[in-house]
Amino acid sequence: MKQKAVTRILERFKSWLAKQRSFLFSRYTKDSQETQEPERSLLELPPEEKKKLLDAVENLPSNPTDQKAIAEAIDQAFTRWQEDPSNEDNSIVILSSPVTAVSRILAETLEDWTQQKQLSLKLLPVTARPDEIVSIKAKLEHYLQSPASDASQQPEVIVIPNLNWCFLRSLEGLEGIEYLQSLLYDSSKNRFWIIGAGQVGWEYLECVCALEAYCGEVFTVPAIAPRDLQSWLAPVIEESGIVFGTPRIDKQLLDEDKDNQTSYFEHLADISQGISTVAVQGLLKSVRYQEVDNKDNQDDTRSETKKLVTQTPKLPKLPSLESADLYLLYSLLLHGDLTIAALAESLGDSESEVQARVQLLRPQGLVQQRNKVLKINPIYYPRTKQELASNNFIVNRE
Amino acid sequence: MSNLNYLNDQYYLLAQSAGNTAQETAEETKKIVSKITTDKLVQAFLILLAAYLTLKILDKLVIWLSEKIAKSWRLRVKQFLPFLRMTVLTTATVILMNLFLNLSPENILAVTGTVAVALGFAFKDYVSSIIAGIVGLFESPYGVGDRIKIGDYYGEVINYGLRSVKIQTPDDNTITIPHNKIWTEAVSNANAGALEAQVVTKFYFAHDIEINLVKKILYQVAQTSKYTALKLPIVVVMEEKPWGTMFKLKAYPLDARDEFSYQTDLITRAKQAFAKHQLPYPNLSAVSNTLT
Repeated sequence: MKQKAVTRILERFKSWLAKQRSFLFSRYTKDSQETQEPERSLLELPPEEKKKLLDAVENLPSNPTDQKAIAEAIDQAFTRWQEDPSNEDNSIVILSSPVTAVSRILAETLEDWTQQKQLSLKLLPVTARPDEIVSIKAKLEHYLQSPASDASQQPEVIVIPNLNWCFLRSLEGLEGIEYLQSLLYDSSKNRFWIIGAGQVGWEYLECVCALEAYCGEVFTVPAIAPRDLQSWLAPVIEESGIVFGTPRIDKQLLDEDKDNQTSYFEHLADISQGISTVAVQGLLKSVRYQEVDNKDNQDDTRSETKKLVTQTPKLPKLPSLESADLYLLYSLLLHGDLTIAALAESLGDSESEVQARVQLLRPQGLVQQRNKVLKINPIYYPRTKQELASNNFIVNRE
Repeated sequence: MSNLNYLNDQYYLLAQSAGNTAQETAEETKKIVSKITTDKLVQAFLILLAAYLTLKILDKLVIWLSEKIAKSWRLRVKQFLPFLRMTVLTTATVILMNLFLNLSPENILAVTGTVAVALGFAFKDYVSSIIAGIVGLFESPYGVGDRIKIGDYYGEVINYGLRSVKIQTPDDNTITIPHNKIWTEAVSNANAGALEAQVVTKFYFAHDIEINLVKKILYQVAQTSKYTALKLPIVVVMEEKPWGTMFKLKAYPLDARDEFSYQTDLITRAKQAFAKHQLPYPNLSAVSNTLT
């Protein structure tokens, strides 16, 4: 009975997340006005082919490898805590790239996980950063306050789907995190915390509030292996009838003994750094609509048909960026997604100034905007991260 | 009479010896300086032109490259420029000397000695600056891209020349300071080749200020500024003054060039927070009334 209730909560939460934040959770996202990568590459496709391909991408579930790794990490941390509830490590933080919808993966993973456990699950029902960031503390207090007497209670699992929505880099924007720290410090022994977060935001919070000291385990979603990427994208490949073209000459020389498909996915996993969202966009960008020579073995006749053929996948180059652009892009990676007002507050600039800068970046493809929410275009993520790291920004913990 | 003859002989010998020395010097100079021809003059002109163009191209190229690459490499690339300039100038000088002088070891000694004495008197400060510039290349009191203060002048080093250094002040003025200042003046270098330079921002309050609140606000102001290099320490220190309490917020911007924007950002946001908490500023009129 209890299990059913938990599953119901998670399902409701998942559909709510998807409904509220379809832009962020979509496999294939696009700016509401601008034509950006990878959609530019799909312009030559006939409309029905394009729709079929995009629908197939959109219907992809979260990568099972990510889900499996997260479920294992949560399970281990939870078992360790259950064996010794006095243990201070009563939490696990799941870190993903800032262009991955960690809350979606977490919701899907927990759905299966909670079916195995008899647990009381408490989800923080926050699907976006509040417009008034000052209110985040009150919201957290409302949902996460410890029960008055917890001695007799059953273990309770608290899930914060995305920590990024609980803070903003501004004077009042860290109050929510301070409150969470106090909860984690004085937390009831019956509570176990599962927190999803973006890597860049986590690094920032670690520098500013040493948040990691208050948390038990920090688990980073591993990069997807080429084989896993291939099996995850197989439904899209089959449904759209994508043919794998001959790789570049250098790839052919290096991967002599490998078939086109294996070589393609190895390269795709490499350039996308094993991040699902980047890999999907990389696949879309590499697809071309071109004539394929078909040879019929029975009567030895040849015919030419137009098919979706992949080219060697590659990431688009970054446009020339000014110092102000770097600050803006870092802010977007730090928070994952932001409205113009929140972005301006995070940068300490005026809204009009930020709006103008965003308007320049959108046609270049780096920033996507939909329903007033801004985020980095995933296909530019690896190069943006590299650019920021070489310009003194803290994006990972090297 | 015999004494007079003796003196005359001596004068004659001295005059003869002076004449001989002058003749010898003229002959030596003739040996050192090779024959000047139109061809050689044209060559020298071309060498000077090539050196000048190379210097100009190097200046543009290195500065362009340093602004294009990652910021962490910017100063390293820029600070390579003086060495390149010195190499070009030395090469041009050696080629010119080789063209006009017969450079045997003895000749080199004679020429450098003579030139050193002549230039030492005529261009004492100029030569001192050039030598200081060469010493500065190895001692590195400043390099291109550093933010330095010499005397009353503060700014970013934008050019390291043979004789002088050019700095760009916050008011966008370019100041030329001869290198020989490093012999006598203290040189304050804020970043010494690093991308970050500490920025100290001062805040003033009344004596009865709530210290912990101010400190918390100042730390948060720095931690939430887009400019702050979070991997470097943020420190708040305070000092008591007769008229109030002074707080110094010490933090590093990601790029030393943003120093003044950074300071403005810190002050703007800190003042908003102070206003929200209604923190009292020093009352200077009350202090001056007490003193009078």
